[in-house]
Amino acid sequence: MLLSLNNINKSFGAIKVLNNVNIISERKECIGIIGPNGAGKSTLFKVISGNLKQDTGDIFFNNTNITNFNTEKRARLGISQSFQKNSLFPEMTVKESLTLALTHKYNVSFNIFNSLVNNKNINTDAINIAKDIGLSDYLETKSDNLAYGLQRQLELGIAIACNPTLLLLDEPTAGMSPQETKEIIKLIKKLSINYSIIIVEHDMEVIYELAKRIYVLDRGSLIFEGDSKSVKNSELVQQKYLGI
Amino acid sequence: MRAVNYNPKLRLQLLLILLSISIIANIFGSYFTRFFIAEITILSIFAISLDFIASRGGMVSLGHAMFLGIGAYSTAILSINYGISPLSSTLSTFIIGVVIGLIIGYFIVFLDGIFFIMVTLALGEMFNAWVFTSDFLGGSDGISGIIRPDFSQIGIDMNNPLTFSFYVILWLLGIYFLLTKITDAPLGRNLDAIRQNSHRISAIGGYTKAYKAIAFSLSAGIASIAGSLYVQLNGFISPELTHWTVSGEGLIMIIVGGIGSISGAILGATVVHIIQHELSNIINWWMLVIGFGFIFIVLFMEDGLWGLLERIQKKLK
Repeated sequence: MLLSLNNINKSFGAIKVLNNVNIISERKECIGIIGPNGAGKSTLFKVISGNLKQDTGDIFFNNTNITNFNTEKRARLGISQSFQKNSLFPEMTVKESLTLALTHKYNVSFNIFNSLVNNKNINTDAINIAKDIGLSDYLETKSDNLAYGLQRQLELGIAIACNPTLLLLDEPTAGMSPQETKEIIKLIKKLSINYSIIIVEHDMEVIYELAKRIYVLDRGSLIFEGDSKSVKNSELVQQKYLGI
Repeated sequence: MRAVNYNPKLRLQLLLILLSISIIANIFGSYFTRFFIAEITILSIFAISLDFIASRGGMVSLGHAMFLGIGAYSTAILSINYGISPLSSTLSTFIIGVVIGLIIGYFIVFLDGIFFIMVTLALGEMFNAWVFTSDFLGGSDGISGIIRPDFSQIGIDMNNPLTFSFYVILWLLGIYFLLTKITDAPLGRNLDAIRQNSHRISAIGGYTKAYKAIAFSLSAGIASIAGSLYVQLNGFISPELTHWTVSGEGLIMIIVGGIGSISGAILGATVVHIIQHELSNIINWWMLVIGFGFIFIVLFMEDGLWGLLERIQKKLK
């Protein structure tokens, strides 16, 4: 088991956003978390990434209790995330953004004397990652000047450059055209061979395509867990989520 | 906050141009010119200390004159009260500045934007008020009788403004190469990234607070060196040096020069100080002219004079 969320509860004032949520993620497994608006998906994502502290409950990652770890500590343990809204370094080129993220993989971020431009391993890795995420032709383009879909790809590139064990993807296809969505699905499928992935997504088709196991959230509680076929066939999910 | 394009080539070219001008002016200039060049060089060191934290880490400090004061008063006390040589005093003030900067930085670097500015302003003003009332530091009279380094054994007379001017230029070059090294290294790139998106640096496992604290303390150490050289140039220190307006002038210099290029800060310090000096000789309302000039640069010259040079460089290609 790679990640385990045990009895997670979170309230904002009187509103209970997460109610006894239990989730397990195995190694190199791609799991999806779905639910209607207000189900608590984003809150759950933030709790896993460490951006938000749960009220009660424990989180274990790689047999380590990370309940009280902040985002930075969790990232160093191997939990990497891509955000729903692009969160890039606008003045940096694609290559600079990737080499920067790689300084954390190579543990050289405190180095003050060796130029990053001359670090062969990091630069080679950056070029390879750019190739993997389909940005080889944009190495010298500033993040801010990339088209939206390409920015989403760079989001993923930065997330994988840190050499994570677990990738958290928050609505990776948000705001994308159908063609861009197809491209990003293809990319995530490729990544799922090497990484454990948790995707929070409201687009059911994306989740059906990518996730081996799906958790369905409704008003902060998990109401269903299963593969895409069982989710599709579940009357409860259809009632609660699809409104059928 | 915006910083200029990462352009190491222009950075070096600009430094070489400024260096050549200062060397020529120093050799052929009058006593006053040499003194003036030393003054500009010291202000440049102070400006690049501010530029470093503003562009690497996004920290705008209105209290950095405090470190200028720490360097100046430490040098005065170390050399007058304890008989430590002026060169050792300058090196010691760097360490003192770094340590105090690290302690202060540890508690304030997590603050963003206006909160960071206001806290540094408050710290600077507290220091200024303390210096004004401290008998040990000479109160409002300050401390005088501070000597320059003595290299007479190797035939160099540091009381000659020509040699002292070259001496401070050497300090500037050393600091310039240290900061360019850091800027191009992983730590510098991470600091630059923090300015652009600190949230993302946390998400990829960066030690955001530690990087910023290191940058702040290093900047404090460099500002202290500037303070130390300043008192050696003038032989005198008064509390006015620690007033927040000195930090404000430093910020004007880096905005005029273009934030983030290091050489741009040197250019900004040079241009602003020359204009200040020349205008104040001609008109009483020189501050008004400086103010309008500053507003013009902020509104119409993105990246300050550096941006202008970059456009010229592109046209020449």
